[in-house]
Amino acid sequence: MLLTRDDWYELSRDVDWELDHVDRATAFPANWTGADGIPEKAWDAWEEPFRVSYRDYVRLQREKESGVKAVSQALVRSGTYEKLDPGHVAASHLHMGTTCMVEYMAVTMQSRMCRFAPTPRWRSLGVFGMLDETRHTQLDLRFSHDLLKHDPRFDWAQKAFHTNEWGVLAVKNFFDDIMLSADCVEAAMATSLTVEHGFTNIQFVALAADAMAAGDINWSNLLSSIQTDEARHAQLGFPTLQVLMEHDPQRAQQALDVAFWRSARLFQTLTGPAMDYYTPVDQRKMSFKEFMLEWIVNHHERILEDYGLAKPWYWDRFLLSLENGHHAMHLGTWFWRPTLFWKPNAGVSKAEREWLREKYPTWEDNWGVLWDEVIANVNAGRMDKTLPETLPSLCNLTQLPLGSAYSRHELAPHQLTYNGRLYSFDSEVSQWVFELDPERYAGHRTVVDRFIGGEIQPMSLEGGLLWMGLTPEVMGDDVYQYAWAREYAALVETEAGTLAGVPVAGE
Amino acid sequence: MALFPVTGRFVGDFVPHLVAVDTEDTMDVLAEKIAVHSVGRRVPVPDPHPGYEVLLADAPVPAATTVGELGLQPLQWLDVRFRGRA
Repeated sequence: MLLTRDDWYELSRDVDWELDHVDRATAFPANWTGADGIPEKAWDAWEEPFRVSYRDYVRLQREKESGVKAVSQALVRSGTYEKLDPGHVAASHLHMGTTCMVEYMAVTMQSRMCRFAPTPRWRSLGVFGMLDETRHTQLDLRFSHDLLKHDPRFDWAQKAFHTNEWGVLAVKNFFDDIMLSADCVEAAMATSLTVEHGFTNIQFVALAADAMAAGDINWSNLLSSIQTDEARHAQLGFPTLQVLMEHDPQRAQQALDVAFWRSARLFQTLTGPAMDYYTPVDQRKMSFKEFMLEWIVNHHERILEDYGLAKPWYWDRFLLSLENGHHAMHLGTWFWRPTLFWKPNAGVSKAEREWLREKYPTWEDNWGVLWDEVIANVNAGRMDKTLPETLPSLCNLTQLPLGSAYSRHELAPHQLTYNGRLYSFDSEVSQWVFELDPERYAGHRTVVDRFIGGEIQPMSLEGGLLWMGLTPEVMGDDVYQYAWAREYAALVETEAGTLAGVPVAGE
Repeated sequence: MALFPVTGRFVGDFVPHLVAVDTEDTMDVLAEKIAVHSVGRRVPVPDPHPGYEVLLADAPVPAATTVGELGLQPLQWLDVRFRGRA
C-alpha cells in the first residue's frame, strides 16, 4: 500500500546529515546561518506552515506557468500593448528594469538558505524558494523579450543591473545588503518577512490592480502569478521570528526596524511615482499612501504586536515620510529625467492635481509650488530651466537624494564624521541605521562619491549620463511631451489677456 | 585656489545639490553657484531680487568670507537663502 504524504512528509523534510569529517560550526558557520547565540535545539521549534512536497510543488507551478504563458501569448498577438496609455507603460519599464535582476539575486539568497539555514526544514523550503525566484526572473525576461520589438527600454530588464544608472545602483545596494550579504536569519527578517511578506504587496498586488484597470492584462497577470509564490515562500520569516523572539528579541526588533525603513524608502521610489503619477488618474484604484496604510502599515503593526515587539522608534517620522517621500522622488526623477531609462509622466495636470490635493492635503504647499515654477518654465519655453546642471546630494545609506524622505519644510542636514570622512543622510532614521553598524555601510559609495573620486569623465552631466549607460533611444523625457502643461498656459492667457512671451511647449 | 565640493541647499527647495565651488570664492559667489540650481527652476525669482546670504550651521556668514576661510570638510552642508528671509 502506498503511503500518503502525511505518512512520510516530516521524515523526508527533516532529514539531516550526521557530520563525520567536519564539525558542525565549520559546515554551518554562524556568519552564514545567523544562528549565533541561538541553541541548536531551538530550531526544532521552527515549523513551516505550507507543507508542500516537491511533487506537489512541480504540479502547481506547472499549472501557474501554463496559465501565464497562455494569457501572454494570446495578448502579445492581439496587439493590446500598442493601445496602452504611455504613462502606464513607463511603469512597466521601471518595474522590469529595477525588479527582474532582484528576482535573480533572490535565487542566490534562497540558495544560501538551501545550504546554510540552521534547520533542515528551512533548507528544504529554500529549494522551493530558489525555484520560485528562478521562475520570476524568467517570467520578467520573457515578458520583456516579447515586447522588445516595441520599445528598447525592455532590454533594461536584463541590462539595468549591468549599468551605473543611479536608481538601479540604489536598488542594487539595498538588495546586495539584505539578500546577498545577509546571513540566513537576517535575510529572513529583512527579505522574507519585511520585503516579501509586506512590501511586495504594493508592487505585485496594487500595481497588478492598476495594470488591470489600465488594460494591461498581460503584465497584471504576470504580477499576480509571481505574488502567489511570494506569499508562500515569504512565510518562512514567521517561524524564524518565533525562534529569534525566544532567544534574541532585541536583534529581531533591530533587524525589522532597519529593514522596514529601508524598504519603505525604496518602495517610495519604485512604486509611489508609478501609482500616484504614471497610472492614468481615472484608472487609479487607491493612492500609494492608502495602499501602504491598508496593506503594509496595518500588516506590519499586527506582526509587531503579535510577536511582542514595539513599533519602531521612528514611527511618527515614517508616517510623515509616507505623506511626502514618493512625491519628492517623483519630482526628483522627473526633473533629472535624462538620468532615467523610462519616460516619466509629470502627472500634475489640473485634474491630477485635484486628485493629489484630495489624497494628500499638504501636497500643494509642499510640492505644488515647486511644480508651478516648472510649469511656468515649460510654458515660457525655458526648457533649460526644467533640467538639471548638477547631481542632487545623495544619502550614504539609501543612496537616494537628500531631501527625498520628507518635504522641503523638514529638510535639514544629517551629517556625521566617521574615520575622517563626512557622511550625509536623507533623515535621522537613515543616520541611525548607519550608526548601528558603520563598518557595514561606510564603504558603499554613492554616485556623488564616485563623481568626486574622478570615476565619471568628463565631470559633467553629459559624462554622468555616459557613465550610467544611458543612450538616446532609452533616455528619459516627459512621456506626454509636456502637453499637460498647456492648460496652465491657457489660464495665463485668460487672466492676463495675452500669451505674449508665454509660448506653449511643443508648438 | 582649488575646486571644492559642498552640499548646497537653497532654502525653500526640496533637495540640496552637489556644488563645485572654489576655495577663493566669497560667500556672494558661492551663493550664486548654489542658488542657480534652484532659483528660477523650482523656486520663483522674487521681484525685486533681495540678493542672497549664506548660512553655516544656521549662522549667517559674512559676504566677504571665502570658502577656504571656513575650514569646511568636503561635502559639508551650506544653506543659501534670499537676504532678509529669516
